[in-house]
Amino acid sequence: MRADAANLPGDIPEGLIEPSLTVGKVTPGSLDDQVLAFPETRPPKQWYIGLAITLTALFTGLGFIGYTFFTGIGAWGNNSPVFWAFDIINFVFWVGIGHAGTLISAILFLFRKRWRNAIARFAEAMTIFAVMCAVIFPLIHVGRPWLAFWLFPYPNQRALWTNFRSPLLWDVFAVNTYFSVSLMFWYLGLIPDIASMRDRTTSRLRRTIYTVLALGWRGAASHWQHYEKAYLLLAGLATGLVLSVHSVVSFDFATSVVPGWHMTIFPPYFVAGAIFAGFAMVVMVLVVVRETMQLKNLITMRHLDVMNKVILAMSCIMGYSYMMEGFTAWYSMNEYLHHGFMNIITGTYGWAGWLTISCNILIPQILWFKKARASYFWMIFIAIGVTIGMWFERFVIIVISLHQDYLPSAWRVYRPTMTDFGILLGTFGLFFTLVLIFARVLPVIATTEVKAILPDAQPHHGDDHHA
Amino acid sequence: MKTRLPEHGPVETPRFWRTLDERIETPEAQRAAQDEFLPGAVPGPFDDVHGLPPQSGFSRRDFLGLVSATAALAATVACDRKGQGTVVPYTRRPVEIVPGVANYYASAFQEGRRVYPVLVKTREGRPIHITGNDEHPGVKGKTSPRAMADVLRLYDPDRLRAPKAEGRTVGWAEAESRLHGALVAAKAAGRPVLLISGAVASPTRKALLADLKAALPALEHLAFEPAAGDAAEEAAQASFGQSVDLQPRLAKAKVILSLGADFLNGEDPEALGAWGAKRRLKNAKDEINRLWVLEGPLTLTGTNADVRVPVSPSRLGAMAYALAKELAAKGVAVPAGTDLSSISAGVPAELGETSKLWSNLVKDLHRAGRNAVVLCGAQMPVEAHQAAHLLNAMLGSEAISGRAAEPLATVRDLDAAVQGMAAGRYAAAIFWDVNPAFAFPRASAWKEAVAKVPFRAWIGLMEDETAAQCQVLLPENHWLESWGDFTTGSAEVLQQPTIGTLYDTRHGEEVLLGVIRALGGHAPASYHAYLQGRWQKSLPLGTSFEQALHDGLVKIESKAALPAFRGASVAAAARRAAGSKAEGLELVLFPGFATHDGRHANNSWLQETPDPITKMTWDNPVSVSVQDAKALGIQEGDFVTLSLEGATLRLPAILQPGQAKGVLALALGYGRSTGGVAKGVGANAYPLMGLDPASANVRPGARLAKAGGKKDLSRTQSHHRMEGRDIVRSLTMDEFAHNPQGHHHKPELVSLYEDQTFPDHKWGMVIDLAACVGCSACVVACQSENNVPVVGPEQVARGREMHWIRIDRYYEGELENPKVVHQPMLCQHCDSAPCENVCPVNATSHSPDGLNQMAYNRCVGTRYCGNNCPYKVRRFNFLEYTAYKTEPETLVNNPEVTVRPRGVMEKCSFCVQRINDVKIRAKGEARAILDGEITTACMAGCPSDAIVFGDLKDPKSKVAQLVAASRAYRVLEELGAKPAITYLADLKNPPPNGASSEGGPHAS
Amino acid sequence: MAAVDRKPVLDRLAALVAGPFLLGRRALNLDWAQAEGGPPKPPPAAPAPIAITPPPHAIKRRG
Repeated sequence: MRADAANLPGDIPEGLIEPSLTVGKVTPGSLDDQVLAFPETRPPKQWYIGLAITLTALFTGLGFIGYTFFTGIGAWGNNSPVFWAFDIINFVFWVGIGHAGTLISAILFLFRKRWRNAIARFAEAMTIFAVMCAVIFPLIHVGRPWLAFWLFPYPNQRALWTNFRSPLLWDVFAVNTYFSVSLMFWYLGLIPDIASMRDRTTSRLRRTIYTVLALGWRGAASHWQHYEKAYLLLAGLATGLVLSVHSVVSFDFATSVVPGWHMTIFPPYFVAGAIFAGFAMVVMVLVVVRETMQLKNLITMRHLDVMNKVILAMSCIMGYSYMMEGFTAWYSMNEYLHHGFMNIITGTYGWAGWLTISCNILIPQILWFKKARASYFWMIFIAIGVTIGMWFERFVIIVISLHQDYLPSAWRVYRPTMTDFGILLGTFGLFFTLVLIFARVLPVIATTEVKAILPDAQPHHGDDHHA
Repeated sequence: MKTRLPEHGPVETPRFWRTLDERIETPEAQRAAQDEFLPGAVPGPFDDVHGLPPQSGFSRRDFLGLVSATAALAATVACDRKGQGTVVPYTRRPVEIVPGVANYYASAFQEGRRVYPVLVKTREGRPIHITGNDEHPGVKGKTSPRAMADVLRLYDPDRLRAPKAEGRTVGWAEAESRLHGALVAAKAAGRPVLLISGAVASPTRKALLADLKAALPALEHLAFEPAAGDAAEEAAQASFGQSVDLQPRLAKAKVILSLGADFLNGEDPEALGAWGAKRRLKNAKDEINRLWVLEGPLTLTGTNADVRVPVSPSRLGAMAYALAKELAAKGVAVPAGTDLSSISAGVPAELGETSKLWSNLVKDLHRAGRNAVVLCGAQMPVEAHQAAHLLNAMLGSEAISGRAAEPLATVRDLDAAVQGMAAGRYAAAIFWDVNPAFAFPRASAWKEAVAKVPFRAWIGLMEDETAAQCQVLLPENHWLESWGDFTTGSAEVLQQPTIGTLYDTRHGEEVLLGVIRALGGHAPASYHAYLQGRWQKSLPLGTSFEQALHDGLVKIESKAALPAFRGASVAAAARRAAGSKAEGLELVLFPGFATHDGRHANNSWLQETPDPITKMTWDNPVSVSVQDAKALGIQEGDFVTLSLEGATLRLPAILQPGQAKGVLALALGYGRSTGGVAKGVGANAYPLMGLDPASANVRPGARLAKAGGKKDLSRTQSHHRMEGRDIVRSLTMDEFAHNPQGHHHKPELVSLYEDQTFPDHKWGMVIDLAACVGCSACVVACQSENNVPVVGPEQVARGREMHWIRIDRYYEGELENPKVVHQPMLCQHCDSAPCENVCPVNATSHSPDGLNQMAYNRCVGTRYCGNNCPYKVRRFNFLEYTAYKTEPETLVNNPEVTVRPRGVMEKCSFCVQRINDVKIRAKGEARAILDGEITTACMAGCPSDAIVFGDLKDPKSKVAQLVAASRAYRVLEELGAKPAITYLADLKNPPPNGASSEGGPHAS
Repeated sequence: MAAVDRKPVLDRLAALVAGPFLLGRRALNLDWAQAEGGPPKPPPAAPAPIAITPPPHAIKRRG
């Protein structure tokens, strides 16, 4: 009988025994010491160098955004007919990246998948940071950003409502809901850990801060009861959001008349793509985190293995989606759709189309091999490829469809400007700055949740007490 | 809220509290505020609710005051409205001007030999919009795109505002005394004085020049028009013995043969009106004309041809004389003395395989007889012109008329002048409204020669290359500030000022009147007096001068018949033609659509209006035929060197479908070196012109080579094929008769939503593509009416031009000789508009009378509407395109239309300001709106009446009837957007037995 | 039932007289101390606009 077959009494067949989710001996105490004490340690020099790099990127982006405010959207490459380009590509890209976190946090919680516990908090934090990056774009991409607040239906004396039929407005609600629910969910999960830190820390300043953030958590049974209920509710809410938010974002395209956008496959296609891109980013970040923060025993190769399998599954779904697009274009006998599809693979931006296909479908197939799923090199290579591929997929959807639609007289070539690239760089800067700060300031692993899946955590009924 | 204090600033620039000190004021007032309820009381401890002690020295009132002040401060800073000025009503109103009510003045615009009778709309005393004079029986209210755009030049900031002498600003007294001194001295010494002016189309100006000549006998006058075509002048002298101003009368033409003649390019609104009337067929049985075009470069007229054959321009004469020979063989009488012996009979070599085409052409001309006309392009070689004159004479064509005209100087005359100047012949030179320093082919020779003339004076609108070489510069009135008169075929036309002079300028004529007086002659001080004096003597009985000014014209019964044709002139020309060979590359230099001869290069509206064929703006690339480009390995935008007899240009090349093999085409009027807008735009092609007027604009022996590098072309259209989509329909007469809808079925539109009901009116438009020639007058009219901004070449290259209406031009078939179609595309005002649903802030909505409205002040600029418009007619202000504008440029704006700021979408509004104007007027007069009473700017500007606007709910309206036409269709109808604009398919009338324009003959 | 019986007429007279002193002399333009040194100077004149004058002797078609 193996010590970590913790759930059921009696003999359990080998095949049904879940592989361990921790490496080596992990007790609640050692877990606390490993994770909760981390924020109290001084960051190494590499962290500062990393932060310097990300801050540089962030401020570059801010500079370019300021330039855009000052000059106008003309500072970008957008034109007629490509009215949306990097701005909306980046928006969809970042919203998409956030979906992995919520899936891991919420959906896998409801499915009782224990492997999510170690990575849920980091993934959820990445969701919040990704949504923060995404939210920048609706605000800055408008021609008159000082009036961006008109997108919100607030009471006014002009008797003006916003247009609820517009998908952009659905975006406003969806993304705001997504951000607020994710934030609450994440914060709720943090409370017990912050309370632990409050109780452990010796620094007065830290204790004050943690006291405020812990909201008076004392670990009482009633607290735990409320906590579990709230957590379950928020997980339920967030689950819906995983599917709805990116579907609503896809409605920006699917409800329009643009050939290549107006397709019913978009909502599931986008959601799958979001999960795909999000998991890739999570894998990339977690590989770095487990190495630099000595969390290899908690974020195990098994975790990475499972996440890579999800990436592979999503890649297959994406492959199916692309094939369906092609099939639809042919089957529809609609020449606009047909031209739109052929344009992706043979047009001006055909290189982007092929880049997308390679990075998103062809290269991730390597993950069929177990060795690849266990190899840092392949994981990171494929994850970077997926990130690039998913960015380019939005480029393909937006720019390629727009630049050649119904009337050939309006067909024009789109060329991005340095400002476009600068702002994209800035969002990566913002994202990784927040990740770096989060890693040092808050506990990156939900210790309460991991404690719940440790071998000692589950009640043993009449079990041997040897370890 | 406190009372406004003096230190808050004057009323015009309202500021709120700039510092909190202003808000909180003095300590005394603060204390006094605390004592509001009871003098001397101190605020008690109110904050005992939460058990917290009251904060001393800081009452709740102050706190709220601070908070609100901060909030107001923040809000105010955010609310700072740029460009706020002061609106002050008249205290003494000028008699003519009623704010808000437009005045219309009849006047006239001259460009070269052409006269455009116009109606000028002024608001608050400023001309803002030009249309044709509706009283003129010829133009019938239409005018050319450049005439419409010239209102911008009135407000050109580069205009010379005061006289200059040796570069310093001086007063008129000093400048004129210099001029008079020089001329008096010249007269005393008996030395000739050179005067170069533009074409003299004005009888009063002609009389004035005669008076001047009387006062100064040694005056040598040249009338120089670089765009008039020297060969045309030479041909007229040879064929008729005098200079002739030709006017086609297309109403009488059943068959038109164009030898490179671009008579449909918008310069001749009368011709376009007749063309439109002939092509806007209701039934297939109605009579239609047939247009044959033989030309080298693809012209707008060529795109509208029923049959087009690309041929080298140098061979046009030979082909036309061969036609004459064929006709003579068929028994058509030749004028006495005609000798066609040097012309060989039979089908010309160029048309080898397609002899059917030739025989059809001959048959058409023969059958049409008096109702046929042969027109020759002004820039074509002299023998082509002479052949055209011969053919018209043989056919006895009634479809062409002409009047004796004042002779124009050719390059040869100018060259003689150069030599005279270099030899020190002239004591003084005066340049009046001409720019020979730019337009004379040998610029350096000109410069050296001019420097040898002791006294040089210049009279003109803005300093140009010629002015740079003159000592005394005399600024002239713009024609909108001037008096004048002109003779047209059907009326004597008057030009009157529509605004008092903006700057210290004068009539050029008044300068000369001053000269006459200085030389001892009699002349009134003002040109107005001079003109009125002449007119009052010759007005017909019962017409007052005031009435003539009101109408802008006096109608005349003109028997403008062509002078007698001299058969003896044929022999020499025919020999020349027979000897012509098309070898190597032949360069055709033609006046640019936007710039004409270069005078309009500083007009940003025109520079940005795309050339109707190439869709190029802000540049003059050399057009290369598809075959030559392939042979030389040239691609669109490649830089090339174009050299001819020592002059070399480096410029971009574009491929031109339909251009004859071996022919290069390049527009004149670019490459100016003066003018804020014009400077550095394009390349100056004049150095490539020849000094032989017989073929100054068609030059053989050009050489073209790749120069390395590629230019980002400022082109409004970069894709020229319809890709098999049903966008522009073109029918032959046969198809029109039997199957006007072709294989297209009207799509069955199913909607979940209820259709919107339109209780009173439903505005709609019909555009007849058979009448639309692509002249782009509608584009300029719309820009003028709706304050459409100009964005500049870099922005056009990026795809951000702002025109609300554009003309899409597609090539069909083989590129060597394609069928070309034009389609004006503007907001379709769809009943189920895809753009309306997707605007998150409701900035675009559908009005109860069918208009798609755009609320500029609500638009935040998400640009979703632009994406969702399948016609891509929405325009976004990517940058602040109007921020740099100050007076005088802003004076041209139409006050009835908002000027849009950056970040806002705009598009065609069906000229809603005009619709509302008429609605208000009709309501005030308690009557219904008449059909045709509302004219959109594009409809009013279209010379061939291709655009019709009206109320679709009125069954008797023209639009309602046209919508039911057999060749009516809507673009992208299957999308279910329900556009309010219906198009009528284009019509082509090729000969029934095969020879057609598409896939027609060409050299491969 | 105030501590002191009210006399509305006197109150109003007092307000009328004392008002300017209580509410701020500057508010009512009665600041005789002239601490600020007089009324502010007008802003610098904008460049003179181009004079639009009607055309002399011209006859218009319609208003």
